Amino acid sequence: MSAGIANFDRFLFAFTIGSHILLVSLSIGLSILISALEFPAARSPDKYYSSLARRLVRPLVISFGVGTGSGIVMAVELVNLFPKFMTLVSNTGVIAIFYVEIFAFFLETIFLVIYVYRGNAFRGRFTRWALTLPIMVGTLLSAVLIVMVNAWMNTPNGFDKATYISTGAVTNVNPWAPFLTTSTGYEVMHVVTTVPLTGLMLIGGYFAYRYLHASGVEERTLFLRGLRVAAFASLAFVVLAIISGALEIDGLYKYQPLKYAAIELDPNPGNNLPLTLFGSLSGQSIVAGFQIPGLQSILTGHANLPGLSQYPSSLWPPLIVHTTFDVMVIGGGLLGLFVLVYVGLWSIGRRPYDRPWMTYLYAVFSFLTLIVMELGWATDEIGRQPWIVYNVLTVNAAANYSDALLVPGLIIVAFYLLLVPFTIYFMVRVFNGRSMEIEPAGAPEGTDVNY
Amino acid sequence: MSTISWLFYINFAIFAVFLTLFFTELMGAVLLLVRYEQTKARVLAHVVPIWEVTGTFAAFWVVTGDFAYPSMLIPVASIFAGYILVFLILLVARNASISFAEYIIKRAWLDEKKLYQVYAVATILIGAVVVLILSTIVSGAGIDLGTLSFSLGSWLTNPGSLPYLLGVVVLAAGLAPIFYGVTELRRWALPVTALGIVLETVALYAYSRGFITGWFVVPAVFTLLPALLFLHPRTAPIVTNKVVFAIVGFLIIFSQSYLVHPTAFAHATGGPLPVQAVTTTGPMVDAFLVLSTAGLVIVGLLMIFYLYAVNQPAGSVPGRASPPPGGQAEPRGP
Repeated sequence: MSAGIANFDRFLFAFTIGSHILLVSLSIGLSILISALEFPAARSPDKYYSSLARRLVRPLVISFGVGTGSGIVMAVELVNLFPKFMTLVSNTGVIAIFYVEIFAFFLETIFLVIYVYRGNAFRGRFTRWALTLPIMVGTLLSAVLIVMVNAWMNTPNGFDKATYISTGAVTNVNPWAPFLTTSTGYEVMHVVTTVPLTGLMLIGGYFAYRYLHASGVEERTLFLRGLRVAAFASLAFVVLAIISGALEIDGLYKYQPLKYAAIELDPNPGNNLPLTLFGSLSGQSIVAGFQIPGLQSILTGHANLPGLSQYPSSLWPPLIVHTTFDVMVIGGGLLGLFVLVYVGLWSIGRRPYDRPWMTYLYAVFSFLTLIVMELGWATDEIGRQPWIVYNVLTVNAAANYSDALLVPGLIIVAFYLLLVPFTIYFMVRVFNGRSMEIEPAGAPEGTDVNY
Repeated sequence: MSTISWLFYINFAIFAVFLTLFFTELMGAVLLLVRYEQTKARVLAHVVPIWEVTGTFAAFWVVTGDFAYPSMLIPVASIFAGYILVFLILLVARNASISFAEYIIKRAWLDEKKLYQVYAVATILIGAVVVLILSTIVSGAGIDLGTLSFSLGSWLTNPGSLPYLLGVVVLAAGLAPIFYGVTELRRWALPVTALGIVLETVALYAYSRGFITGWFVVPAVFTLLPALLFLHPRTAPIVTNKVVFAIVGFLIIFSQSYLVHPTAFAHATGGPLPVQAVTTTGPMVDAFLVLSTAGLVIVGLLMIFYLYAVNQPAGSVPGRASPPPGGQAEPRGP
C-alpha cells in the first residue's frame, strides 16, 4: 500500500506539471507574441498589429489566470506530496529561488493587470509596448527560476550532502549556492528556448490554419501578420533550442553520467561508441535498435563515454528514457527542418502560407512541438529516478504516505482532464468571439473605483 | 525584538496583506450571490483587476512560510493533506471561472452571471477552508500534534469553532456594503459588523480565555471603526476608499498576531507549539531578511505603480495608429 501511495504521489505531480506546462508554454508564447506585435503597432499606422495584440490579450488573461492557479497547485502539492523533499528545500537556499520567483510573479501579474485594464490611460506611442516588456520578462523569469530549482534537483549543492545522507541533518548551508549549480546554465538555456518555441508554434499553427480559412481580406491580413511574427520568431527559437540542446547533452555527460548512459542506452563505457536509435537492453546487448557506429563519440566530441555497467542496476532510471529521448531529438530535428523550410520559402517570396499542405503540416508540427517538449521534460524527470534530489534523496523517502491524499488527488486529476481542454477551447473562443475593434471586457477604463 | 521574531512578523505581515485582499474578494462574493444585479458593477470593478494580485500574495505567504518554518512542512502536510488538496481544487475553480467570466459570450447554458457566481461560491468555500485551518492554528481544536492528525469531528464539537466560522461570514456581510459603497445598506453595516465582533469574541473566549486580553480591543476597534464612519455620508467616502480600507484591514489582521505568537496551536493535543522552535536558523535567516527587504522594495514599488495606473484618467494614446484604408490589406496569393 505504501509503495502504491508513493507512486500515486509521483503520478499526481507528474500529471499536474504535465498539464501546467501546456498552459505555461501558451502564456509565454502569447506574452512574447503580444510584445512583438505591440512594437510595430506603435511604430507604423498598421491597425492589424494592434488589433491582433488586443485579441491575443484575451486568451493570455485566461491562460495566465488558470496557469497561475495550477502553478500554486504545484507549489502546494510539492509540500503535500513530498514533504521531506520540501523540508530539505526549505532548509537550503532552494527556497530562496522560490522566494525570488514570487517577485517574478508580481512583475508579470501587476503589469498584465495594468496593460489589460489601464493600458490606454497612459500617453506616449510606445507605452503600451513598454508595458508588455515586464509581462514577457516576468513570465520568462518565472520559467527560469523554476528550472533553477530543477537544476538543483539534478545537481544539488549548497549544503553538506554526506552529512545529510548519513544523519538527515542539513548543515553547512550556503543559501545562495543553489542559484548557480553545475547544470543551471545548461538547463535554463534549453528550457528558455524550447518552452517559448512550443507556445509560438501552437499559436503560429492556429494562425496558419485561420489564414487559409479566412473569409475576407481583413481577416486574412490579420492572421498573416500574426503568422509572420510567430513563424520568424519560431525559427530564432529553433536555432537556439538546437544549440542549447547540444550543450545540455554535454552537461549530462559531465555532471550526470548515469543519466547520460541511460538516455543514450550505452551498456558499457568506452571510446568510439555507436549512436543507438530506439531498441532496448537485454543483458549487455541492444535489441531491436538501429546503430550508427562511432557517431555518438563523434557528436559528443568526448573520448571516454560512460556506460550503465559502471553503476549498480538499482540506481538506473527506467530505460524508457532512451526512447523518449530519441523521439524528442528526432521530432525536434524534423520540426527545425520544417520551420527552416517554411520561413526560407517565405523569405524568397514563395508564400508557403497559401499552400494548404504546408498549412496542415504546420498544424501537425505545432502539436509535435508540444509532444517534443513534454517528452523532453519526461526524459529529464524519469532520467533522475529513483532520486528526487540526485544521489541525495529518493522519491520514496520523500513521499507523503497519507491515504487522505487519494480521493482529493483523483478529483484533481478528473478536474484537470476537464479544465485544460476547456481552457484551450475557451481561449480559442474568446479570441474569435468579438470583433477585432472591440476592447477586452472587464473593469472599464476610467472606472469609478475609489482608490 | 529577536531575529526569529522578525521572521514571524514578516511572514505574518504578508499573510495579513493576502487575507485583507482575499477578504475584499470574499465580501464581493457575498454580494454577487445575494444582490448580483445591484452590485455587480461595483464589485467587479474592484475584483476583476485584483484577483490575480490576491493569488500572488497567497503564493508569497506560502513561500515565506516554507522558508521561515521548514520543520512545519511535514506536520502541515500530514495534518491537512486532504483539506489542502480541496483548497487547491477550489483555487483553480476560482481562477478559471473568473477568467472565463471576463470574456464569456452568452450561451444558452452558460453566461457571465453563472460564471461569476461559480467564482463567488468557490471563493466562499476557499474562505471556509482557510478559516477552518486558521482556527485550528490559533486554537489547536481537532489537532493532535503527537500523531500529526486532524479530526473534523473534534473541531466541530469545540464550542469555539462554529461561532468562529459564523463570525467571519457575518463580518463579511457587515463590511461588504462599506467596502463596495452600497449606501442603501448603510444602516445594516454597523449592527451586522458589531454582531460579527461579538461572535468572534465568543469564539475566541470559548477557545481560550487567555485570547481575550486588553490587546483584543485593538482589532475590535479597527473593525468597528469603518462601520461607524460609514454611517455618515460625509465620513463614508473615507472608508469606502479602497486603500484606506485595505490599510485598516491589514491592521485588524496584523494586530491579531498575538493569537499565534509566541505559541500556536494553543490547545492542541501535544501543544501548544512554540513558534521559535520551528523557525529556521543560521545563514537561512540572513537570506530570508535580505530577500524580504529586497522584496518589500520591489513589491512596494510595483503596488505604487499599480495605484498610480488605476488612478490615471482614461484616454487614448496620442500618436497611436488610426485604422488605415482597406487598401493596405495584403492580398491573398495565387
